[in-house]
Formats: sequence, structure tokens, C-alpha cells
Amino acid sequence: MKFFMLIFKNLRRNLLRSILTSAGVMVLVFVITLIWSILGFLDVATSEKTSNFKGIVTEKWSIPSQMPFAYATTLENGAAREETDVKPMDSMTWQFFIGSTEKGKGFSLKTFVFAFCMEPRKMLTMMDELDSLQPGPRAELNEAIQKMEMNRQGIIIGQKRLAALEKKVGERIKIFGTNYRDLELECEIVGTLPLGRYDNNSFINRDYLNASLDAYKASKGKPHPLANKTMNLVWVKVPNKETFTKVSGQIDQSPMFTSPPVKIETASSGVSNFLAAYKDLLTIFRWILAPSIIATLTVVISNAISISVRERRKEMAILKVIGFQPNQIMFLVLGEAILLGVVAGSISSIGTYFFVNRVMGGIPFPIAFFSSFPVLDGALWWGAAIGFATSFAGSILPALSTRSIKVVDVFSKVA
Amino acid sequence: MKSYIDLVTETIDLYAWVLIPISFAFMALMMLFVYVARIPIGYNIRNLIVRYRTTLLTAVAFTMVIGVLTFMMGFINGLKKLTKSSGNPENVIVLSQGATDEGISNLAFESMGDIAQQDGVVRFNDEPLSSREVYLVVSLPIAEPQPNSPTRRLLQMRGLYDPRSSAKVHGFELFPGGNWFSEAGVRSSDDPNKQPQVEVVLGEGIARGLGSDRSEATRRTAKNPESLEVGDTIQLDTRELLVTGIMKTEGTTFDSEVWAKQSVIGPLLGKSNYTTLVLRAKSKEDAQKLEDYFSGKDPTNAFEKSQVNAMTETNYFKSLSQTNLQLLVGTMVVAAVMAFGGVMGVMNTMFAAISQRVRDIGMLRLLGFSRWRILVSFLLESLLIALLGGLIGCLIGYLFNGYKVTSIVGSGNGPGGKAVVFRIVVDWGVLGIGLMLSMLMGFFGGLLPALSAMRFKPLESLRG
Amino acid sequence: MTAKPIVRVSHVSRYFKRGSERVNVLNELDLEVPEGQFLALMGPSGSGKTTLLNLIAGLDTPSEGEIWVGDRCVSTMTEAQLARWRNEHVGFVFQFYHLLPVLSAFENVELPLLLLPLSAKKRREQVMTALELVGLNDRNSHLPSQLSGGQQQRVGIARAIVTDPTLIVADEPTGDLDAKSAHEILDLLGILQHSLNKTILMVTHDIRAARRADRIQHLDKGRLVDQPDEALYEAG
Repeated sequence: MKFFMLIFKNLRRNLLRSILTSAGVMVLVFVITLIWSILGFLDVATSEKTSNFKGIVTEKWSIPSQMPFAYATTLENGAAREETDVKPMDSMTWQFFIGSTEKGKGFSLKTFVFAFCMEPRKMLTMMDELDSLQPGPRAELNEAIQKMEMNRQGIIIGQKRLAALEKKVGERIKIFGTNYRDLELECEIVGTLPLGRYDNNSFINRDYLNASLDAYKASKGKPHPLANKTMNLVWVKVPNKETFTKVSGQIDQSPMFTSPPVKIETASSGVSNFLAAYKDLLTIFRWILAPSIIATLTVVISNAISISVRERRKEMAILKVIGFQPNQIMFLVLGEAILLGVVAGSISSIGTYFFVNRVMGGIPFPIAFFSSFPVLDGALWWGAAIGFATSFAGSILPALSTRSIKVVDVFSKVA
Repeated sequence: MKSYIDLVTETIDLYAWVLIPISFAFMALMMLFVYVARIPIGYNIRNLIVRYRTTLLTAVAFTMVIGVLTFMMGFINGLKKLTKSSGNPENVIVLSQGATDEGISNLAFESMGDIAQQDGVVRFNDEPLSSREVYLVVSLPIAEPQPNSPTRRLLQMRGLYDPRSSAKVHGFELFPGGNWFSEAGVRSSDDPNKQPQVEVVLGEGIARGLGSDRSEATRRTAKNPESLEVGDTIQLDTRELLVTGIMKTEGTTFDSEVWAKQSVIGPLLGKSNYTTLVLRAKSKEDAQKLEDYFSGKDPTNAFEKSQVNAMTETNYFKSLSQTNLQLLVGTMVVAAVMAFGGVMGVMNTMFAAISQRVRDIGMLRLLGFSRWRILVSFLLESLLIALLGGLIGCLIGYLFNGYKVTSIVGSGNGPGGKAVVFRIVVDWGVLGIGLMLSMLMGFFGGLLPALSAMRFKPLESLRG
Repeated sequence: MTAKPIVRVSHVSRYFKRGSERVNVLNELDLEVPEGQFLALMGPSGSGKTTLLNLIAGLDTPSEGEIWVGDRCVSTMTEAQLARWRNEHVGFVFQFYHLLPVLSAFENVELPLLLLPLSAKKRREQVMTALELVGLNDRNSHLPSQLSGGQQQRVGIARAIVTDPTLIVADEPTGDLDAKSAHEILDLLGILQHSLNKTILMVTHDIRAARRADRIQHLDKGRLVDQPDEALYEAG
């Protein structure tokens, strides 16, 4: 304990240097936390799950995928025809409706709406991050979903979007389609989502979109140009890899999907294929950016510690004279560096975790179809780990050098 | 907002190299100050050498920051250069109304002739010079995927009505030995049971990309282990694609495209309409006029037959540089944070240097060297560290110049956008920014310690 | 030998605030030093001898009274003026030499000349003359760490005389030296005084050193005293 106090006092003695070094550690750990969170999130998204995994059905060749809604039922059943065929445990369909609350205007943050049109109930079972809500928020969302089932014109809007649109739950909005030309949806806002979940997105009952497309045909005398291309994705949930392979075979062999043909892939391989174009960029993040930040951190700490060791050679010689062992002096130096690194690193990454997740609602880094990333739970210990590793690496040489301090240095005049 | 950012990035583009002479001029100015201050530069340099470990550690921190910065800037710069050189200001790209991306455009057959027949479009063989295209993104399974890498490749295909006029509009030539695809767009196989092969022409980049998708074994026996060549084939579902030519497309977004006959691949891939019509105008001005006319800027003189969205190619590719902007902002955040770390480092170094030399400072003050001379002397020292670290950092960044990478360009978030292959461009502008940032870090990191050194009282310093 | 006074200290007091208390270091002190005199200031610790030296050398300003050196009133000059004046008119010699460790003997001596409008050639001449005078012209490229204590002090003296100052102030110049080196340094100061007619003010508590001066002035509690109280020296 005494030993610890000595370390602490030493840090306090050159407060300026300790502050400068901690500030350096903090900002650098902050950036690494962000980078690792993004990479970690993408890693999870692209890593193959062993159970309960999801498959995505899309148009075979074209991107973006646009399929007729007539495919929906068959695909949701995994194209099962025979008694022996397997059906997915669960499924959902996605139709994207992109629009603006003002007619004829281009995109602006205040008017932009991006909605998933789907079966409302599936939000709780199939949507990532909504399927794992705490009981409280889950009940709230469930209530909104019930409203949406009763009133198919209901819309659930993420918190940030709701704020940007300057609307409240209970109000009505009109959305003018931009991908669906000349299609207007009139919705009643029946609820919102917990902060951090689909903050900028909205959810509309798919029945309403389909009914609107039918109404378009009735009034204009011809179907909407996208009427036959309205379904963008179908998700199916299967218990394991075997079932997935089976379902995949059923879909491939089904005679139903000829124009356009479809394919099924695991969610993770779908994501990783899509991210292939970002491969170099992510490689740069992972193998150039993050390591050079860590190296910079090590250098900054190492510099600070070697300076303080050099300044205190005489003092350390005195410690030796009064009986301290070389190892104890070495640990004094190491301890000082590590204490600083771990404390500053932890403050930074834990602070980032709470600030970014609670206040900012994620890291705003639009890449592929992800718009923001959560700071991962790992951030709670990353700071301490980075702080420990870099301060250890940075201080081990200066610390070792103290072992060779000679007692006669006490009497030398030039520091 | 956008135009403001454009202005800034263009200014950076054009004038960033000026920062190099400015950095050196700044350094020279400091040297001049030091000369006027009469504190021998040798004093500072020798102190840096005596404390070589600290000097090097600090310089290394600078090197990392500047190295990463120049590398990232080079990446963005390459991407920017690519989107810039892809667009021909005399070309007008016509998409269906509301479409900002070829991927979601849908042009009606009937209107294409009318659109092309406008004044201002170059005529060639008594026909308007235009290129009718369908742009498709195909998710191609990789035949022999390597472990731990994607199993599919997003292939960008462009189906053309007439390859020759398209090549003329876009200004591409084939490498010797290649041919454009035939009128039929397919080549019959000798084996009557086999379907005819689809003739395709590849961009250089995708030829290399597809070449690298092959397994080691295949590559060893291939004509060219690095890249596909004329005569090679690609398996697309049940059909075989036959490479008949490679285009000289380096440095453009077309580098990553596979061109084929529209009448063959359109039906094959389930997209029977055209997505894109590109017109070659007689001049830049005509191109701009066409853009205004088709997009209905002036309601009294607007194209009415079909609602379309037209842009000069230059503007079109500019709209695709949204990705660049996102990256730029990200890089700036990272650079700022790393720079802050570097500044903290150099501050530590300089504060320590000064506390070691309190007596020196006291002595100099006694001998008649005034406060500002001391300030200048110490500031120079941190700038020398910055220059050393910064120059090495720039050099490391420069090593990546010309390195080939893939990325994506697009008009914003969401699916869509084009995968592109390009070279990292670390040019004078990038190096200028790197060097300038280094100088600024050195300046701000050194300023506070130097100010504190300036305030020492000579007598107290000598006693201390 | 005595001429017109080059240093005139009249009614000078210097006090410091220590908390709310006022501490008088110098009390209405009068002192005149004729040109070319070697004056030793002695006194116990806290007697004010170093303060007096600092005031005369323009490192500090008096609370009351005036100090004249030559025809300049030092006590009313601004800090910038003082810096300039010191550079041209005062040479300093210190107990711990205070050489800049990274500069060679030559460069250390050259430092004060850099502030004067001299050509490099002229500077070199002056530096070599000063080094020759202290007997170190063969050591001009050595760093301080490569020189003995006595040699370092001689470099210090060369630096003090290189601008050809009116006044040389020396604060315990032999305090850190062995007897033999101290002897040599004092010899050197004597030579400066006699052959170059320099006025030298030396603070010391070494009576043997003080005896080499023309005149010994004792200080006690901020006043000049004629006869020192021997007991005080034993304590100091």
C-alpha cells in the first residue's frame, strides 16, 4: 500500500506531465475504441453462427434485389413442397419504402423517411437487436405493434428520425415515395423504438404498401412500374446449418422462381460478400490505422516515462542507498506508467462506451447499409487493456535502465 | 453545403502543394528568427543530439501520425482522382427520373431515340453518337474460393447496344490482340450440346480481380497468372463468358466493369430495359445545355417526351464522391486525434528539455539574451523534431504511392455504388498537408513549453 | 591607482515581502568602487552580499536608492535595457561556472558576442584572445564535460571578459575548486585587474581569497561594517 502511495505521489509530482500523457492516452484510446467497435461489429455480422442462423433470399443476379411479392409465401415456407421438406422456423419479408414528407423535394434530413415494410409481428422475432430487448422496452414495442396490426396505416419511427421530422407519437404524417414514384402513404405514428435501435429508420405494415399499390392500379388503370418488383429481401430463420442447406436446395430446385431467379445465402456471407468492396479499407483500419495508433501511444508513454526516469536518477540512487532493491525501483517505474495507462485508458474507453451509446446513439459511420455502429461491450475493458499493454511496452526499457543506476550517482553533480 | 465542401476540396486539390514551400518557408523564417535571435542553432541541434533518445521517440510519434495521415489522404486522393478522371465533361448521362444511380434507373426503349436526336449531340455516320447501356450488378459465385475470403464477387456488368459507339463515347480502346464482341454477342461452341459462349470485354482492373480469384493451381497453368486474358472464360451460372478483349480503362470507374451485348445479358439476367444513355455533346457548353434541357431547369424550354434525369458525366461522378467525403471526414477526425496525441508527446519532451536546461536558460538571460530570443530558440527545437518526424512520415506515406486498392464509390449510404480499383495517390498536395500538419503540431506542442521557458527569471533559474 | 568611482551605490535599500512581513536585506547602503579596483565582499550568509552584487550587476533593482555604473543609472533601466547593458558592460563569473554543456569552450565564450554587431572573424579573434588570456587556447574545441573544474572556471572567466566589460562580478568563483585551482583562478583575476585595468567585484566567504583583493568590505545584516564579528564567520 505504501508502495502504491509512492507511485501515486510520483505521478502527482509532475502533474503537468501526467496530465499531458493521460490526455494523449485518452484521445488515442478513444479512436481505437471506435475503430475496434466498428471492426468487431462487422466481424460478428460476418461470422457464421452455428445455430439459429438466418438466411437471406434475394434476386439471383441483380443488385438491388427486386422480386415480385408473389414469391413471398413460398419463400417464407422455404419453398417446401413435399412432406419431407423442411420449413424455416420463422421468416420475414422486407419491402423498402423511401420517401420524403414534402412533395417534390429532394432528400433533406428534415423530411427523409426510410421504412421497412414488413409484417409488424416479425419485428419482435426476426429483426436483429429488436429480438433481444429487455422486458420493459419489449412490452412497449409490442403495444405499438398491436396498434399497427389494428390500424395498418400505423408507422413506428426510430427516435432520431422522429426528432428530425419534428413529429410526436400520435401525429399523422404523409410520405411521398421517391423509389415508388407517385405513391403516397398516409401514416399515423403509433410508437417509437428504444434509443440506439434503428434510430433513423421506420417500420410500416407491409399490407398497407401492398394495398396502396393495388389502389394505384385501380385509379390509374395500369399497375405501378414497381408493382412486380416490390419485395427486396426475404429472411428465413433455420435452427442449424443442415436445415439451411436443405432449405437452400429446396429454393434452388423450386420451379417457381424463374423470372427473376433467386438465391439464398446465410446472413453472414451475404454481409461479407457485400462488404468485399470495403475489404481493403477495413484491412487498412485493422492492420494500419489501429496498430499505428497503438504504436503512437506506446511512444508517447515511453517518452514521458523515460523523461521522468532521467530526471529522477539521483533520487533513485538515494532510494538504493537507503536499501531499495533494483527490482523494487524498477516496479516503481513500471507501476507509475501502468497506473497512468490503465486509469487513463479505462476512463477513455468506458467514457466512450457510455457517451457514444447513450448520448450519440452510436458511431455515425455510414458504410454499406450500416449507418451507425454501437460501441461494443468489450470497450469496458479495452481501455484498461490497451493502457496496460502500451504503458508496459513503453516503460519496460526505461524501467530496466533504472536497475543499472549506480549508487555513486548520488554524488554526481550534472543530472 | 455540398458546393461549399466541393470548393474546399477543390481548393485543397489544386493548392495543397503550396503547403510544402510554405512549410519550408516557415522553417526558414524560424531559422531567420533564430539567426536574428543570435542563439546558435548548433546549441539546439546539439541538445537534440545529446537527448537523442527523447528526440527520436518524439520524432517517431510524428512519423506515425504523418505517415498514417499521408497514407489515408493518398487513399482518398486516389479515389477522388478516379471519380474525376472517369467523367468526360462532354458526355451527358441520362437516367430515368428520380434515379441518381444507374442501379435503379429504368429507361423506356421508345424514348431513347428521341433523347439522342437533340441538337448539340455529336453525329457519327449520320447517327447521334450515343451509348445505350444497361448497368447490372451481378453477384458472381467464385468458382474456387480461397479460405477465409468471400465466396462471391459483386460483378458490375454493362450491356451495350453497340460496343463500338459506346467505346467511342467513353473513349476506350482495347489492348492489342482483343476484339469487341460480335453483332450476335455470342460465340457458338463446337460442341453442339453446349450453349454458346457469351462474349465479354473486361476492364483491366476486373481482369486482374477475376484472375486473382482463381486457385493457385489454376493460376499456375494459366496464360497469365495475374490476370484474365483474351480467350479465358468465366462461369456465370450455367453460361460461360468468353473474354474477347481487355479495355484500357486504368484510372476510371469502368476499370471494374464487364461489358457485353445488351441483347444477350439483359434477358439472361432478367433486366430487359436500358438503364443508361450516354450522349457525346459537341462541347462542354453543349453538354451543360443538354443537362439543363433534360432536367427541366428552364420550364419553358424543357424536354417533355419522357421524364429523365440528365447530368454531365462530370457532375454524375461528383455525386458519387459522397463516399470520399465520408472517408475524408473520418480521416480528419482520426488525424486530429492522433495529432493531439503527438502534440502531447512533443510537449512532454519540450517541457522536460526545458526543465533540464533551466540553468542554461538562466545563463543565457544573464548574458543578455532577452525573452523572445529564448522563446524562438526553444520553439525552433520542437519544430526541428517535427520536421524530422514529418519528413520521414511523408516518405513512408509516399512509399504507398501507386499501390492498388479496392474501395467503393457511391452517392451516400445504402446498397448501390460502384466497387472500384484504383491507385493510392500520394502527390505533392498530400505531402504538403502532411508536412504542414507536422509543423503545426511542432509549433503548438513547442509553444507552451517555450513560453514557460521564456518566463524564467534568470537568477532563480541559476539557483534552481 | 585609485581613480574616479566607477560604481556608486547611494542610499540603497532592498527588501522582500515574506508573507505579510517585510524583510530588509539591504539598509540604506552606500558604497563607491573606484575604476580598476578589486573589491572583495565578505559577510555571513544572509548578510546581503549577493543581493548587493546582483543589484550592481543589474540583475535586480533596488527598492530605494540609486546605483550608478560609469555614467549610467542602473537602477532605473527597464529590463530590456538592462539585458543590453549587461551584455556590453558586465562579465559574470559563477561558483558553478554555468557553462552550456552542449557547447564547446569556444562557443561558450562566444555566446555574449553573438548579441553584438561583430563579424564572425572579429568574434573569433576576440574569443581566441580571451581564451589565450586564461591559458586555454589549446582547449577551445573541448566540451565542458571534458575539462577540469579549474579549466571550466577559466572558460567562465574568458566568457566574462570577452566583451571587454567595464565590470566583472564574481560570485564565489573559487567556491567549488580545490586549493590549487582556486589559487590559479585568483591569480587570473589579479592579472585581469592589473594588466587590463578591470574593476572586479567578488563575493566570497573564503578569507584567503578575499586577501587577494585590494579592498575587503564586510557586510552584516544589510549594512557595511568595518570590523567583522568573527563569531558570525564561524557560523556561516
